[in-house]
This record gives sequence, C-alpha cells and structure tokens, in this order.
Amino acid sequence: MKLTESLQHLKKFTYSIHPLSDEEWSNFASIWHEDEAKRKTILTAKGETEKNLYFITEGVQRAYYLTADDKEATIVFTYPFSFSGVADSFLTQTPSKYFFETLTQSIFLKTSYSQVAALLDRYPNFERFIRLATAYALKGALERQVELQTFSAEQKFTTLLTRSPQVLRLIPHKYLASYLGIDAATFSKLLSTVRV
Amino acid sequence: MKTQKNETLINELLDQTETILKKAIAEWQLLPHSRFALKPSPESWSANECLQHLNSYGRYYLPAIEKSIAQAKNDNPTDEFASGWLGNYFTKLMLPTKEGKLSKKMKSPKDHTPKTIIESHIVITEFIDQQEKLLQLLTIAKKMDLNKSKVGISIAPFIKLKLGDVFMFLIAHIVRHTQQAESALGKTGEVIEVQTLSQ
Repeated sequence: MKLTESLQHLKKFTYSIHPLSDEEWSNFASIWHEDEAKRKTILTAKGETEKNLYFITEGVQRAYYLTADDKEATIVFTYPFSFSGVADSFLTQTPSKYFFETLTQSIFLKTSYSQVAALLDRYPNFERFIRLATAYALKGALERQVELQTFSAEQKFTTLLTRSPQVLRLIPHKYLASYLGIDAATFSKLLSTVRV
Repeated sequence: MKTQKNETLINELLDQTETILKKAIAEWQLLPHSRFALKPSPESWSANECLQHLNSYGRYYLPAIEKSIAQAKNDNPTDEFASGWLGNYFTKLMLPTKEGKLSKKMKSPKDHTPKTIIESHIVITEFIDQQEKLLQLLTIAKKMDLNKSKVGISIAPFIKLKLGDVFMFLIAHIVRHTQQAESALGKTGEVIEVQTLSQ
C-alpha cells in the first residue's frame, strides 16, 4: 500500500471519530511514515515506555501480559484499520506492563509521542479527537471486561466469531483461547461443535 | 562446497517457514481430529503423526540452536555461508526430488516414531509454537556467522554441524514431512468422499 493510500485510510478513520480542519489534518498527516515487521516481531517490550503510535494497514498484532510463571495472557488484538501500540503506556508515558508484537507480517504507519504531543499542545480540536478516540477505547475495554466476567465459554466463542470470523484462519488458536480466557481443550471442542 | 550469501539463505528459510506456518494456521488447525489423525493406510502415518514426529525433533533442535546462538560472539558476522559435507549430505537426503516427489523412503529413528494418539489440537499447537520460535531464531541468526556456531546432531550430539547446516537440514526435514502430512490429508479426504457417496 502506498503512503498516500494509507493516509486516506487514516483520514477516514480519524474523521469518523472527530473531523479536523484542513490545517490540522495536513499537520497530522505529515508526522507519519510507513514501516513493516515480519511475523512474531516484538515492537514494544515490557518495561519500555511506548514511544510510538501505529496505524495498522495490514496484519494482526497483539498485546500480552507475561505472568510470573511465564504464562502469556493475550489482552488485545489489533487489525486494519485502527490505531495500535500499548495505549496506556503511550498516553501516560510510563513503562509498559505488556509486550506488543506482530502475529502476522504487518504493515503500518508509525509516528512518535513527541510529534503527537506537539499537535495536542497546538490544536485544542486535535486534542478533542484524541480524547474521543481514548474514550471509545475505554468503552471497548469495559465492554470486554463484562464479557470476560459474565459470558459462558460458548457465548465468548460465538461473540468473537460473529464479530471477526476471519480470525480463525489468521491467528493461532492458542492466542484466541487466551484472549477469551478459555482453555485450549474447551476451545477445540467449541470449534468442532459450535456453528456460527 | 558451494557458498551462498548469508542473508539470501536465511531469507529463503524464513519464507519456507512462513509458508508452512500459514498452512498450519489457515487450514490444519481448523480440521477435526477425526480427519487429521486418520491414517491413509495402516502402514502410513496420519498428518497428526507426521507433526508429532516433527515436534519431537523440534524439542531437541530448537533449544540446541537457541543455546548455540546465546553462546556465539556476534561481533564478526560474515556474509558467506559454506555448507559442510555432512550437513550438505543430511539436507540432500531430506529434500524432495525435482519432480516434487519424496526421495527414497527412510525409516525414522525409533525415538522419534509416534507411539500414542495425541489430540490433534495439542499436536498442531506445539507445531505452530515451534515454527514461530524457528522464525525468531532465523531472524537473530541473520546477524551471525553461520559457519562458526555449531550444534550437535540429535542421534550423536558429539557430532557437530555448522549452524547454517542445522537450519537447512531441519527445515528440509520439516518440508519433507509437512508434504507427507498434506498427502495423507489428501488421501484420507478421498476416502471420506467415497464413503459419503456409497451411503
């Protein structure tokens, strides 16, 4: 994908959350460059402060937490077209508790915290856009919390597959099971019995 | 022995591993155990058994490669790799012929012959884990001297091959048995169709 095409996707995504003025958009568009990473590349490690904001144009990524006994818990997946990176570490500029990695070959736009921060200081309307984007992310996180605590394994499975059926052929199932908080054997059983 | 660019070799091996991973993720992990573990004939392996066989090698080689990489001093990467004669011999033995057929039949060592039925989702998960690990090790090895680092072979760990040869041999072995798994699935697929028709 060409940079101009990726920026068109970013513009569409941005304006669906909150429209910017022409001046604001052209300044925002100018801070990005295109980059890519192979499958299973760690982009941010635990303990590092997230310096980058990503806008994904190809591939799947995840953030995961590593427990004291070396078990991985998948917290979130990201796909095109959306922002990505360790959001809380980026916004607060404090060390990340999570690893952020690619799960497939990925292409994305990338920018830095300092460049975003400069626009936040300069344009109140841009700050409003980031505030709304953060608010929607919070809304999503709370909805997921409810699903994790109240849904049965089957409901979690069906909800995921209704929302994003393509993930079954794109993501190794152990990551999906981990994301849903169900064990691998249950996931395999649901796969062979549940018809979506 | 023929030499080749380090980076070209690693990129080729990365591509082969990526292709196999894509197949495992997009196809195999969706198949039911009843299909994946079905033997095409009593004497031949099911896809499940092919992967079990590969997993048992991965359990030896991946930690061995990781150890060899950890011990290596990375200050002097060379960009040319030359296969040793033994490594080259092993790799050739594994590779399919030009027509895409498997070269002559080989008896797999007993330690690596699947003995029990393991649920396919467990076998495939371990296989995917191992291929992901292999991708990461190959990526690190891009910046290393593939001639200097050595890895002991599984049947006789005191016989050491160059790191580059171990990658080539290991991946040729994976290609061989994933092709065998594919053909087992193809054959068992036909059997199922015939049975359905006759019902």
